[in-house]
Amino acid sequence: MVGSMAMELSDANLQTLTEYLKKTLDPDPAIRRPAEKFLESVEGNQNYPLLLLTLLEKSQDNVIKVCASVTFKNYIKRNWRIVEDEPNKICEADRVAIKANIVHLMLSSPEQIQKQLSDAISIIGREDFPQKWPDLLTEMVNRFQSGDFHVINGVLRTAHSLFKRYRHEFKSNELWTEIKLVLDAFALPLTNLFKATIELCSTHANDASALRILFSSLILISKLFYSLNFQDLPEFFEDNMETWMNNFHTLLTLDNKLLQTDDEEEAGLLELLKSQICDNAALYAQKYDEEFQRYLPRFVTAIWNLLVTTGQEVKYDLLVSNAIQFLASVCERPHYKNLFEDQNTLTSICEKVIVPNMEFRAADEEAFEDNSEEYIRRDLEGSDIDTRRRAACDLVRGLCKFFEGPVTGIFSGYVNSMLQEYAKNPSVNWKHKDAAIYLVTSLASKAQTQKHGITQANELVNLTEFFVNHILPDLKSANVNEFPVLKADGIKYIMIFRNQVPKEHLLVSIPLLINHLQAESIVVHTYAAHALERLFTMRGPNNATLFTAAEIAPFVEILLTNLFKALTLPGSSENEYIMKAIMRSFSLLQEAIIPYIPTLITQLTQKLLAVSKNPSKPHFNHYMFEAICLSIRITCKANPAAVVNFEEALFLVFTEILQNDVQEFIPYVFQVMSLLLETHKNDIPSSYMALFPHLLQPVLWERTGNIPALVRLLQAFLERGSNTIASAAADKIPGLLGVFQKLIASKANDHQGFYLLNSIIEHMPPESVDQYRKQIFILLFQRLQNSKTTKFIKSFLVFINLYCIKYGALALQEIFDGIQPKMFGMVLEKIIIPEIQKVSGNVEKKICAVGITKLLTECPPMMDTEYTKLWTPLLQSLIGLFELPEDDTIPDEEHFIDIEDTPGYQTAFSQLAFAGKKEHDPVGQMVNNPKIHLAQSLHKLSTACPGRVPSMVSTSLNAEALQYLQGYLQAASVTLL
Amino acid sequence: MSQRARASLSPALWLTVPVNMPTLDAPEERLRKFKYRGKDASMRRQQRMAVSLELRKAKKDEQALKRRNITNVSSDPASEQLTKGVSLNLQEIINGVNASDPDLCFQATQAARKMLSRERNPPLKLIVEAGLIPRLVEFLKSSLHPCLQFEAAWALTNIASGTSEQTQAVVESGAIQPLVELLSSPHMTVCEQAVWALGNIAGDGPEFRDLVISSNAIPHLLALVSSTIPITFLRNITWTLSNLCRNKSPYPCKKAVKQMLPVLFHLLQHEDGEVLSDTCWALSYLSDGCNERIGQVVDTGVLPRLVQLMTSSELNILTPSLRTVGNIVTGTDHQTQVAIDAGILNVLPQLLMHPRSSIQKEAAWALSNVAAGPCQHIQQLIACGTLPPLVALLKNGEFKVQKEAVWTVANFTTGGTIDQLIQLVHSGVLEPLVNLLTIQDPKIVTIILDVISLILKAAEKLSEKENMCLLIEEIGGVDKIEALQLHENPQVALTALNIIENHFCEGEENGTILPALDQDCEYLNHLTKNYQGPTTSKPRTTP
Repeated sequence: MVGSMAMELSDANLQTLTEYLKKTLDPDPAIRRPAEKFLESVEGNQNYPLLLLTLLEKSQDNVIKVCASVTFKNYIKRNWRIVEDEPNKICEADRVAIKANIVHLMLSSPEQIQKQLSDAISIIGREDFPQKWPDLLTEMVNRFQSGDFHVINGVLRTAHSLFKRYRHEFKSNELWTEIKLVLDAFALPLTNLFKATIELCSTHANDASALRILFSSLILISKLFYSLNFQDLPEFFEDNMETWMNNFHTLLTLDNKLLQTDDEEEAGLLELLKSQICDNAALYAQKYDEEFQRYLPRFVTAIWNLLVTTGQEVKYDLLVSNAIQFLASVCERPHYKNLFEDQNTLTSICEKVIVPNMEFRAADEEAFEDNSEEYIRRDLEGSDIDTRRRAACDLVRGLCKFFEGPVTGIFSGYVNSMLQEYAKNPSVNWKHKDAAIYLVTSLASKAQTQKHGITQANELVNLTEFFVNHILPDLKSANVNEFPVLKADGIKYIMIFRNQVPKEHLLVSIPLLINHLQAESIVVHTYAAHALERLFTMRGPNNATLFTAAEIAPFVEILLTNLFKALTLPGSSENEYIMKAIMRSFSLLQEAIIPYIPTLITQLTQKLLAVSKNPSKPHFNHYMFEAICLSIRITCKANPAAVVNFEEALFLVFTEILQNDVQEFIPYVFQVMSLLLETHKNDIPSSYMALFPHLLQPVLWERTGNIPALVRLLQAFLERGSNTIASAAADKIPGLLGVFQKLIASKANDHQGFYLLNSIIEHMPPESVDQYRKQIFILLFQRLQNSKTTKFIKSFLVFINLYCIKYGALALQEIFDGIQPKMFGMVLEKIIIPEIQKVSGNVEKKICAVGITKLLTECPPMMDTEYTKLWTPLLQSLIGLFELPEDDTIPDEEHFIDIEDTPGYQTAFSQLAFAGKKEHDPVGQMVNNPKIHLAQSLHKLSTACPGRVPSMVSTSLNAEALQYLQGYLQAASVTLL
Repeated sequence: MSQRARASLSPALWLTVPVNMPTLDAPEERLRKFKYRGKDASMRRQQRMAVSLELRKAKKDEQALKRRNITNVSSDPASEQLTKGVSLNLQEIINGVNASDPDLCFQATQAARKMLSRERNPPLKLIVEAGLIPRLVEFLKSSLHPCLQFEAAWALTNIASGTSEQTQAVVESGAIQPLVELLSSPHMTVCEQAVWALGNIAGDGPEFRDLVISSNAIPHLLALVSSTIPITFLRNITWTLSNLCRNKSPYPCKKAVKQMLPVLFHLLQHEDGEVLSDTCWALSYLSDGCNERIGQVVDTGVLPRLVQLMTSSELNILTPSLRTVGNIVTGTDHQTQVAIDAGILNVLPQLLMHPRSSIQKEAAWALSNVAAGPCQHIQQLIACGTLPPLVALLKNGEFKVQKEAVWTVANFTTGGTIDQLIQLVHSGVLEPLVNLLTIQDPKIVTIILDVISLILKAAEKLSEKENMCLLIEEIGGVDKIEALQLHENPQVALTALNIIENHFCEGEENGTILPALDQDCEYLNHLTKNYQGPTTSKPRTTP
């Protein structure tokens, strides 16, 4: 069947297709891959999708049915969209046939297949609905009459996948036209279906299986309600608000034993429905307040009752958090204040809604022990958006807007009583203390930042007293493994209130934290590492770190030992918090770590070797490389010769990483090598030179993540070893230029190409690149002609000015005019003069200023040829570069540039902060002040041809620019003759 | 940032059609280019051109398109005797109307008119289907029988007050020309009824409006305006005039507008509430358009009076006068300046605090367009004390009001000087703005993110970035922005990502210590597609 443009809908073809589909399920890639390839190769043929549809409908084998449906969905996903200027990948006849059959097929299929087809419909709908699929809506609405809820739910599910984008798309003419069309056809039938379904629920109140289907419908209907009401309140729903809201309200208060599930984890249908209704009510309360106002108090009461009567099980979490969020958003609106202001109401909300939802539950305890990563993420990083605790905190914040006094009063009573409970019997009542600490940490914090912790606290408790009386004792206890949750709470307290607790108390806690690095609980030792890391980054006066190296010095050895030991604790071998704390400790302690470097670097290299087998924790890896860089910098700053020791320790692992092509690490390795190479003061060591040819291999440059690191490394080679390259590896220069050529061809990487080119121009002996110079310019012109972008122009300007500085103004003019007569004038007129204002960066601007000064004052053709007319405009633009704000505009057509060289995903480049390169100024001391330099150069020029310069300046320079220029001349104490 | 000055309040579409701006001389243009970061100044004011699409119910505060005459005319002695007609059934009416005896015709027409005037379920459909319209139109021409003319005009008025099809039936029977002629009738009641009928026809839409205009109704209507006519008559004339100004695509021709404007200016000085209301509505329609149309209205000199009327306690005067002034400030900088000179900024602060949320919304909308102007306008906006009530609205307004307030802040931020931004931040705008990041409206969320990003950039220039970041984090902004990185709308997600990346990634003395993340690659690729430059995008993972 290969090669034919149309595949017959024959049994033979169905059979073949079945075989290949079966093979795509094979675990053996040798069988699976060719089958996948084959299917891809025939999917362009006519009838292919119809064969799949036939199979998913008629195949005898259920596995094939499902497989065909998935394949079909993916096929639609890849091919349905018609992209401008690209061939239509599905022939029209197939498109028509698919649209004609798919709804019916979806509705008559079992659920597993229905889901796939429903997804396919929504993908098709996204492109074709409504214009190119006008009867879809009627076809769907008609099915509402069928009375068959399997079919109805299929329709509802499809409608949901079609309409849910109304929830997040921007308003547009097109979108609203579609919504209007949908509302006209769909809103009334949906409302009727809603009413009918609710009636059926009461008729079938004793039939569990019927109820389950009906409730699934109600959930979908409620979701559709949300989508259809999202953009604005439609007239239809405003007119029918009574029906919807009354029924929503009833459903919210409804309970039916038959629908309750035993499962403690998974939310049941009732919970899902009620939580969607909470969302619907919240949407109306938030956006359509005026119209919804009269329903709102009833919903507040219903939702509140719901909260008071809902249990602690995990399955209620979403419902509870949605319900609390609803109350939180309502209670801070001024005109609903009265619903909450009664003292009894407030007390009851605090007691029955907030406190119970802040309690540490069995599920939390489980997560603390068995799923610590998730626990930490939720507790520490705030990825707790849907949790009960977070919702309860938000409610407290909302209530505090109007009732801070009473709320604080109620809770401080609670905190005290819970601490008393704990004191009676710690080993049984430790959860009470946890709740007390949680209340304090969440209620006391009015404003919180990652960097500084809490920055404003309210008057709930005295934070320092609480720290001394209730936090420190726990951390001081000899057994680091006792009450791990309370230990974690205590450490977190330090992190959060580090700005409130006085420094002397923090200093006391540092050895305690170091001690807790040894705790068995992952959460506890992770928190300890994290707390240390946070404390070490705190800033005191003068922006210096709050803790000095000297203050930490007494603990250096135990700190480093415990940190590395913690990495050997079960579950923490790639713990990013610990690695970050290591990095931070190095950074804080600086020279104080030098005595330990031999051990440290050994441990780091071992770790590197181990994780390079299967890099899986990007943050951990990143901090590890940062720590390596810090070790190198700190050591070599004191003793540059020590670089050899690092090379000895690291090169073996690096070689292995390069040989095994560990893609994630290669960019890091190049950065560390650049750092090492730059530390060498003399000529380039031969070990590096051996690597040089390998760096030019095209395959390395295919990966975008490598490019910045490789360019940086090549620049280091050029800086340190240009003479060696010119003498010993001259045959590699074409390869080097090949890299440049590849890079400048890409819009994404052209600036990297210029970095490389600039290093070549700056460092290579001129004669070694002489023969290539013209070709370089021609390549740049080609790119300018084909796809000019602002970024390219900026880099180009810097390059030609650098060239001018290095080779002289005349050489620049000659090379342009050598390519094509009068080219130099064109470049001046069309590029340099109009675009120079766009150049950014101090060094870049300086290069351009000095380069242009040379053009103005050291280029005879500028004085006595047709180029002379450009002399004053060029001077004017140079003064503009000095004085006017940078022009950071980007032409409209450039706002959306595809990064065309990154097909699919590749490892991204991550810059190592501690491998940072110093900014390099190729002009350097040669010119300190470019304005003075301009004045002096002009003066020199004017002495060579008296009278001409002042006349050129005074006749056509604009007044403002002239004034600036006179300022420069004065500052340089020169005059123009 | 999406900038706008908008031409109407309806939740419709703001097309990005730039409006001609006065050419700027070179140095100023250069300055602007820098200030707006590449956005041409004229882009800051955008006009709504497309027909508005509404999902919402038509607004209750709007002016009526058509009105049926159901009032008793007993107050008019001339009609007193006429009301004593006999009541007939439909068939009798049909027979009577088609009879040749003028008395029978009169009786039947009166009976029909009465049916059409009853408060509940007037049988418009039946009368139309009975084919009575052509005869009624004929009766309009029977100048010997003014009572018949009056009854016929009334009946047609009420038919024309119905659906578009019913109005169309009246028009297609040729009613417009005889009605226009009746405007010169010596009998005032006849004349008044003709005015009303024409009002209903014109109210149907631009097509019939233009038919009425091309039948030369305007000069006749204008000639009726005098201080001697009863106030009810004057009200009817004003209302009909307003319908002749109403509707766009197309707008009424410029010539007609030019004819009506002086009279509207005159009517605007009247004391009667209804006259004022309809006059303001008329002006609001005329000013809801391009700068040229706005210019026509402004040049009439109506602004000082309009601003005065904006302080009216009558909602039906306040609403259209505010709407008109709001329309005017969507115009050029010059037109806005005239509105400012007339004192609009002195009135807006009170209106921002008006008890009705619809007024707050209109006021905030007008303010947003003043904020879209040059920084001198923004300066006046600050000086008049509009910031405190604006912040109050951001905090506690209804959503539709908050939305307008957000636009105001957005325009302010884009056009304001650094000093003005400082004042904005000091007015406490950030906290309520950040709280609105949880609003279920992706456009508003994007705008707020843009505002935050502009404020951060301004803070950067003042070397205050660190404090600003802290402030935003303290008020819970970072949490919210981080969460938005996962928003389903890619533009929201990307904007949030950029803010986190550029301002909230953990800073080090020499750069950022964070790996580029290689998870969620599909998501990231998607985001980086539209992202220029070599930067690698990464969502912030909290340190």
